[in-house]
Amino acid sequence: MNIATRWYKLFRDFRAIGGRITMMVAAIAVGVFSVTTIVSTYAILTREISRNYLETNPASALIDLGEVNPSLVDQVRSRPDIGEVEAGSIITARVKLKNDEWGRLLLFVVPDFGNLTINKVFPQAGAYPPRDQTILVERETLAFLGSSIGDAITMQTPSGQNTQVVISGTVHDPALAPSWKEQTAYAYLTPDTLAALGHNPVPELLKVVVKGAVFDQGKVDSVATRLGLELRAQGLSAHQIQVPPTGKHPHQSQMTAVLAMFIVFAFLALVLSAVLTASMVDGLLAQQVRQIAVMKAIGARYGQITGLYLTGILAISTAAVLIGVPLGLLCGRSFAQVIAQLLNFNIASSRLPSWLIPALAGGGMFIPAAFALTPISRATRRTVRESLNDYGVSSKEFGTYGLDVVLSKLGGLDRTLILALRNAFRRRSRMILTLSLLGIAGAMFMASLNVKTAWEYFVASSAKDRGYDLELRLDHSVPTVSLLAAISGAEGVGKVEPWSLAKASVARPDGLTVMRTYPDGGHGNLEFRSMPEPGSLDHLVFLEGRPPAQGEIDEVLLNQSARTLLGDPHAGDVLRLTVEGHSASYRIAGIVRQIVTPPAVFVSGSGFSAATRTSSQTNAVRISTTCHTPEAIAATSAAVEARLLDYDIHIALSISETQVGGAVGGHVKILIVSLIVMSMLMATVGLLGLASALGSNVAERTREFGIMRTIGGTSSVVIRNVLAEGVFTGLVSIALSIVLALPLAIGIGKLVGTLSFGLPLPFMQSWTALGLWSAFIVFGTAGASLVPALRASRLTIRQTLAYT
Amino acid sequence: MHTQIRNDHALAGQPNAISPSLLCLRHVSKSYDTPTGQFLALTDIDLDLRAGDFLAIVGKSGSGKSTLVNVMTGIDTPTRGSVAAVGKNIEKFGEDRLATWRGRNVGVVFQFFQLLPTLTVVENIMLPMDFCHFLPTSKRRGRAMELLEKLSIGRYADNLPADLSGGQQQRAAIARALANDPPIIVADEPTGNLDSRTSDEVIELFAGLAVEGKAVAMVTHERDLSRHFTRVVELSDGRILSQSEVSVRS
Repeated sequence: MNIATRWYKLFRDFRAIGGRITMMVAAIAVGVFSVTTIVSTYAILTREISRNYLETNPASALIDLGEVNPSLVDQVRSRPDIGEVEAGSIITARVKLKNDEWGRLLLFVVPDFGNLTINKVFPQAGAYPPRDQTILVERETLAFLGSSIGDAITMQTPSGQNTQVVISGTVHDPALAPSWKEQTAYAYLTPDTLAALGHNPVPELLKVVVKGAVFDQGKVDSVATRLGLELRAQGLSAHQIQVPPTGKHPHQSQMTAVLAMFIVFAFLALVLSAVLTASMVDGLLAQQVRQIAVMKAIGARYGQITGLYLTGILAISTAAVLIGVPLGLLCGRSFAQVIAQLLNFNIASSRLPSWLIPALAGGGMFIPAAFALTPISRATRRTVRESLNDYGVSSKEFGTYGLDVVLSKLGGLDRTLILALRNAFRRRSRMILTLSLLGIAGAMFMASLNVKTAWEYFVASSAKDRGYDLELRLDHSVPTVSLLAAISGAEGVGKVEPWSLAKASVARPDGLTVMRTYPDGGHGNLEFRSMPEPGSLDHLVFLEGRPPAQGEIDEVLLNQSARTLLGDPHAGDVLRLTVEGHSASYRIAGIVRQIVTPPAVFVSGSGFSAATRTSSQTNAVRISTTCHTPEAIAATSAAVEARLLDYDIHIALSISETQVGGAVGGHVKILIVSLIVMSMLMATVGLLGLASALGSNVAERTREFGIMRTIGGTSSVVIRNVLAEGVFTGLVSIALSIVLALPLAIGIGKLVGTLSFGLPLPFMQSWTALGLWSAFIVFGTAGASLVPALRASRLTIRQTLAYT
Repeated sequence: MHTQIRNDHALAGQPNAISPSLLCLRHVSKSYDTPTGQFLALTDIDLDLRAGDFLAIVGKSGSGKSTLVNVMTGIDTPTRGSVAAVGKNIEKFGEDRLATWRGRNVGVVFQFFQLLPTLTVVENIMLPMDFCHFLPTSKRRGRAMELLEKLSIGRYADNLPADLSGGQQQRAAIARALANDPPIIVADEPTGNLDSRTSDEVIELFAGLAVEGKAVAMVTHERDLSRHFTRVVELSDGRILSQSEVSVRS
């Protein structure tokens, strides 16, 4: 085959700078790898999370009627707007954890496991349906409890009996987040087993699926409300109607938002690698200026030379795509598996949309080529005369810019250092590209760690704000005075306060209580809580407004999660809430910051009594222990419980700081780790860019080094000069990174904080990040400069002067 | 051999004088903007280059020789005046059209040879054919080898330029200039980097090309080579100081 001669030139030119070409391939491959990983993860997860969730045939609405009989089920089933109906119960109980603490347990009561059509679960191991007097647990619950199939666990239903129950099998419930993440165990049992546990086995909930409204929230809301009103008209008591967001897994929005953020970062990595390519091409062409001129002098047209180099870049990016895309696909599948496991769903297929791989490959090939087009065009558009007269500095010689004048007047420094400073600004466009590259990479690295620092600060300060170690919720209200007296005498108790609790919802004109809550009750609930007088355990941080006025029973505080849930009201606004079936209006006195706390409305003790029609009664307390270790908290919890039993007071739920910490860590660890991995990828691209830019700069100045040595400069002077230039560039980039990290960290902090806590994270400078990045850049630039510096110093004067 | 330099008009009516002008410069001026003001590199140059001409362009450093060569080859465009090649004003051509015109019509030889270092000698010769689509791809190597043999460096065809001496590199550069069989050869101080014996050989080569009917223009500092030329143009401060025909006798 006859190949045109110019392709030989391209091939050999690239071979001659194999090191730099390899760096270029590596940099683009890193960018392509990042994009492929994240985009393929996104494509797989968004499809699979939806598929998993919809496979459970989630209830459009759960209507809490207190008691559901089979004839009611049949009656509702006959309605034309209802597709499926089932009766069931979801009971909040307690289970003994491996550290001997009590943990939250949700019991899903299934009348007929063989005919479960709504909120379906899928058998995993062991028995299905559960054997008599046994339970099934969600597959992730087994590890959370530290148990195996066949083990007996100790649980306590709201009726207060401690019972040993055997786990006879596991199921997968894709609609639930894993137990370790929510710090909640999930068990599935028959009404008979529930009865054996001492609880009323009659189903309490009516689960309905609205016909043809998988994604139609409006239709579901309307049908559920209409059904609730009709049931009420029949004399039934629709205590509460739970209408979860239609067709959407509880964590789908968070997952999509976080992955979308990573997609932006990944594309940024690709763009950075494309900028790096442009920078490297600029350096490469700087050495080819005369050759381009000669080619034009012997008849080459602009298009031919541009096509030559552009093809070269396309070949490089194709090589990068061949490396980056398969690796990215592999990694994307693994990453998707990790996230799926974190969110407790299965990936049935890792198939990607048919257009995705060609699009990724095309992007990987053409984005770097598009960026490289500018330097290629600049080099090939120069006239032959201009190019033949090029001696390695810009056409606008040093001295034509204001900055040059400043640099030229620098004095008092070592002459080599002054020269290095001036050299750094000789190729301005390359300097800008290199600085952009390092600056953005550093900004991402610092922003990631800044966000991590802000997150840790937020969580730590929230724990400090809470100021308690244990919250105990009772199965019924008891006189406050006797409760406090009972607890205060228990060993390990430091301080105890009543924080009564009731469920609330926005009052509706029709009197129904409709909540946007998932079956697990962990998402979308609104708590109505009594608040002790100032000086309490919870040190409230006000985001706006003020504390409720003394004696005002209709003034409330909202935490930020409640504010989000209630549609972003402000201090001074009036809310109408239904609490325990009674509606009343409340004026918002202020909004407070409460991290890792469900949406809650706080009212004074007297306000709580008025709303719940109780008096001097308490159903929840918060305890500060004298020692704050997990073991001490667990011991205190046990001691308090023993004391309360003496008074015949039963605990329905206990939540310790240890459990809260576990839930917080579980929610964010993967995010922070991913951010840091992403920033390290960016750092790699940045350093490759710097090494390449310095290599080009040194190669261009080969003659100059010869002249320096002719007039007495030693090899060490040459090395010092190049090293100083590299380190100087690195130091400027650090300053740029600090500036760029600010908006980036604020942006990421806003997204992460809002998704996690309903509040943007504050900007926190991580000094560790600054120190690490500075050390990385200083050593990295010194290392990257050393190779070309040594190469330059080893050339003989004859070689340097003969360099063209 | 006896050389006689005569007045500009003395050879009027000689064969090369009446053959059509391949390159015709009329009232060509070229100026550059410099930090110290406008610099006039060429002023009102009139020059014709005809088949069989072997034109020497001489003058002191800074007299405008290289600028004149650049204008003749289309590497630079005049600020005023016209450069006509076969009836077309090339100063109006765009860069791409100029490149194609140059590749087909002008062989350029540089002082520092400017062979592309990563291509072998024969590939350097094939490159202009590639750019200008001269001959089918399969026949280019044959043509390049012919030229190398003609210039007595055939055995170095597959060597890299760095393996060759200065004289051999310049021969290779001349072969490259001839690759597309252009009617005009323009050389900018092609002997400036060579020893005297090699310089003589290179000049003989150019002279031979002129005898074969090429129009050859060459910048040189070396007045003692003038015996080889048919015409000598002397530049001073961007103007033609003198233009004389040379009669060559053996």
